[in-house]
Amino acid sequence: MSKPVVHIANLSLKYQHKPVFQGLNWTINRYEHWLICGTSGSGKTSLAKAIAGLPHSYGNIEIAFNPDSDLPATVHYVANWFQFKDLEGQSNFYYQQRYNKQSAETTATVKAELESFGKKHALQLNEVESILAALGFSELKDSTLIQLSSGEHKKLQLVKALWLKPQLLILDLPYNGLDTLSRKNLNTLLEEVSNAGTQLILISNETELPSCINRNAEIKEGKLVEVSADERSWNEIEVSDKAVPTFLTEAAPTPSYSEIIRMIDVNISYGEKHVLKNINWEVKTGEKWVLQGHNGSGKSTLLSLICGDHPQAYANNFHLFGNKRGSGESIWEIKERIGLISPELHWYFDPSATVWQSIVSGFYDSSGLFCDPGYSKKAQTDELISYFGLDEYKNTLMNELPLGKQRLALLARTIVKNPELLILDEPCQGLDQQQTKHFNRLVDELCKNGTTLIYVGHFESQLPNCIEHRILLENGAVKSVGTTIERFESVENFEYN
Amino acid sequence: MSNYFNTLPLREQLNQLGVCDFMDSAEFLDGVNVLKGKKLVIVGCGAQGLNQGLNLRDSGLDVSYALRKEAIEGKRDSWKNATENNFTVGTYEELIPNADVVINLTPDKQHTSVVNAVMPLMKKGATLLYSHGFNIVEEGMQIRKDITVIMVAPKCPGSEVRAEYVRGFGVPTLIAVHPENDPDGKGLAQAKAYCVGTGGHRAGVLKSSFVAEVKSDLMGEQTILCGLLQTGSILSFDKMVEKGIDAGYASKLVQYGVEVITEALKHGGVSGMMDRLSNPAKVKAFEISEELKDIMRPLFQKHQDDIMSGEFSSTMMADWANGDKNLLAWRAETGETAFEKTPAGDVKIAEQEYFDNYTLMVAFVRAGVELAFETMVQAGIKPESAYYESLHETPLIANTIARKKLFEMNRVISDTAEYGCYLFDQACKPLLADFMTKVDTDLVGKNFNEGKDGGVDNRTLIAINEVLRSHQVEVVGAELRKAMTAMKTIKTA
Ligand SMILES: NC(=O)c1ccc[n+]([C@@H]2O[C@H](COP(=O)([O-])OP(=O)(O)OC[C@H]3O[C@@H](n4cnc5c(N)ncnc54)[C@H](OP(=O)(O)O)[C@@H]3O)[C@@H](O)[C@H]2O)c1
Repeated sequence: MSKPVVHIANLSLKYQHKPVFQGLNWTINRYEHWLICGTSGSGKTSLAKAIAGLPHSYGNIEIAFNPDSDLPATVHYVANWFQFKDLEGQSNFYYQQRYNKQSAETTATVKAELESFGKKHALQLNEVESILAALGFSELKDSTLIQLSSGEHKKLQLVKALWLKPQLLILDLPYNGLDTLSRKNLNTLLEEVSNAGTQLILISNETELPSCINRNAEIKEGKLVEVSADERSWNEIEVSDKAVPTFLTEAAPTPSYSEIIRMIDVNISYGEKHVLKNINWEVKTGEKWVLQGHNGSGKSTLLSLICGDHPQAYANNFHLFGNKRGSGESIWEIKERIGLISPELHWYFDPSATVWQSIVSGFYDSSGLFCDPGYSKKAQTDELISYFGLDEYKNTLMNELPLGKQRLALLARTIVKNPELLILDEPCQGLDQQQTKHFNRLVDELCKNGTTLIYVGHFESQLPNCIEHRILLENGAVKSVGTTIERFESVENFEYN
Repeated sequence: MSNYFNTLPLREQLNQLGVCDFMDSAEFLDGVNVLKGKKLVIVGCGAQGLNQGLNLRDSGLDVSYALRKEAIEGKRDSWKNATENNFTVGTYEELIPNADVVINLTPDKQHTSVVNAVMPLMKKGATLLYSHGFNIVEEGMQIRKDITVIMVAPKCPGSEVRAEYVRGFGVPTLIAVHPENDPDGKGLAQAKAYCVGTGGHRAGVLKSSFVAEVKSDLMGEQTILCGLLQTGSILSFDKMVEKGIDAGYASKLVQYGVEVITEALKHGGVSGMMDRLSNPAKVKAFEISEELKDIMRPLFQKHQDDIMSGEFSSTMMADWANGDKNLLAWRAETGETAFEKTPAGDVKIAEQEYFDNYTLMVAFVRAGVELAFETMVQAGIKPESAYYESLHETPLIANTIARKKLFEMNRVISDTAEYGCYLFDQACKPLLADFMTKVDTDLVGKNFNEGKDGGVDNRTLIAINEVLRSHQVEVVGAELRKAMTAMKTIKTA
């Protein structure tokens, strides 16, 4: 038998000074492709980073690359987080910046980024084209990094990894933010690279996986336990019955308007590029909507209009909360009524704030806290922190927490002021199944009292029950609007052309 | 037109220099109401113009842009900035006559011609707003008596004005009313409302005067902010190369060093910055910064004197009239320095290494900040104003150096600052020649602590800490920084 590819003996790992693994042993043999699952905070990412040899991890890890293989003798790690810099080497962005035309030129184009990656690793440019096409990315080559949505950044990371074809490829939550078709295509691409000799370690709690996965393990209480493929299903999840804090279930006073949103022929374009085309959409007070569409279909642009984050709102005809947009209201008056979470908001959020500060800042719609909130807001925040099980992290900085915990804190921030309108754009990204179920149940609970909801999610099984209307976007236009009965018939069966 | 400040009797000069009131947030409870429904017309759509306009509109105000004909016809960047963000754009003739407030955000050098073109079109009783008082104070621009003249001056580059606003915060701001032009007494209320519209009220607002703003702003930018950072950077780089340090390393240390070092200044003042050094390095930095203060004091005083007397602005205006001959020559020279032409090396420098290996810059910054502050206060400027124009802005300018070195810094700052910066740099380099012969790589390029045992005399250290912490810039700074606690950290490579 040949030597194992990865051999881990007696590994101990810490995350932020706390032990995650102690005395871990794990062997990965040739032709094995592993799936690693586990709850958020279980140590999946720490382990992946250790194998990838990233700084701050040490222990006894041996990797034996195959000297006879044509593939690069390297471990490539696709992080669950993406990072980019502007042309001056800074990463000081704010999430609304994507929508500013004049900001576009300050970051590199996708094309330039790929060229420099290819040059660094001596890759052939023509080989990347088919990967770009399969992930629906070809048209984005001239876009600049700041203009990409979080799903598109994820794709860019994946494109690089699939182009590189390393001997060992570690993917940490690769499906985050990808639409249904891209997930399917990603699986096909992963099967292809595995056939060509790349070994995979896939960290994910999803169920639709590439067929080459032949070993499964779960991380539980600091141990890596091998499980069989069907054991890894999560059907029997227990959801705790903690009572929702009462300040969140008080019915809001009935507003004087019957429509929260009324859009009439709304258009957004950047030069020649039309990102929203003649959108007509009405959301009545108290309605629960799901907004769907492929990556790049215009979902986040549409939501940015509603949240007062898009400068072109002023050139369009639409009403929010009973007022015509641009008739003298300030964006802060709009934001006051909205609880927003989105992948972009998370990505650009002030990482140097504590969990507590981040949650309180939800009362002020700011990224970071700038004033003393006073007694009742503090008390409500504490109550919510307990509800989300974040007590022990209250004074921890956001950037010291694993992704899933950060996301929980931001979800608490989203609802802390009990807003009239909840905009939940893939709210459960980075959470495990149990947390997802739990959060969606909370949403159902909150929505009983007349809250209006717009929810973005690609999968039916991961939506709250209260949803009753659906709007589907395709290439910037409304493809269909309907109720949930006809909801999932034609979901995203869209092909990249 | 003659220098406005010089037309005032001494009593009134001191009076206006001394306007300085750190405003309570309760003064802004009326929000933008005073300007609600009024027509705000911004002239110029550059760094300040665009970003202030975006904020004002997002605060519910009615904003449009008046651009010069050439800019509209040529579809210049200013026209694109405004139209692509869906603002109404028009000529002076189309927009100014209906404006309640005209906001002049053109380059300072153009103010006289712009105001001369715009003023006859302004309706009776309208308001003219500036973000810098040079035109009024140094050029003595006379504004029609029915017009109210106010200033709202964000103490940050335009891009920050926008970034901080959308985060839900703002940037520290000075506001003022020109005492010669407040016929209806509405100036202050309008300035406050405008300040709320840009988000400035959340980050600390100083009520100032046109005179105090100009005299302190000029002094700060010429000496500590741009002048000394330029001189110190070039001398440090040249010294390292002379002593055989790798040029790529030297270039990186200098390019990013000022930013990392002044980040500590931003959070903890001069003593916070000095505390980042080991004890022996702190003692050394203290000693050489004392020496630097003695060497440079006369130069700082000369700059302040020339600013007060109007000598500085008249020399600069003579250069304007001469087609910017001096400015362009100096700018070209800066572009040719070895530091500018050596790309930062591909080496990793850890955050602490920027302090340990660049003690010289820590000493330069301490000397410059304290000298600028002291000189301003001696000249009659209030400590709070002096703080804004010295310590507060230093990290912001350092950030421009980190982005693209000195050439970038000089491109971002105003022509006025750039001109003063070169004047300072020309005079400061020869002044420091002797001092620099004694500097070795332990102060710049290598770790100061290497080969030392780390011991210091207790009493010396206590005495030094006492001097640092009791300086007035620290006392005033601690108070003002409380109001800007949430200033975000700047992330660089
Ligand atoms: N930059 C800062 O950090 C800062 C901070 C606080 C205050 N300020 C003050 O803000 C004001 C504007 O500075 P800025 O940095 O924003 O300037 P800027 O970026 O250079 O923009 C100037 C704008 O004025 C227009 N302009 C130039 N010459 C003109 C002329 N002769 N007539 C009419 N329009 C003209 C330009 O457009 P076209 O050439 O296309 O016409 C451009 O849009 C100044 O008073 C400055 O002191 C600046």
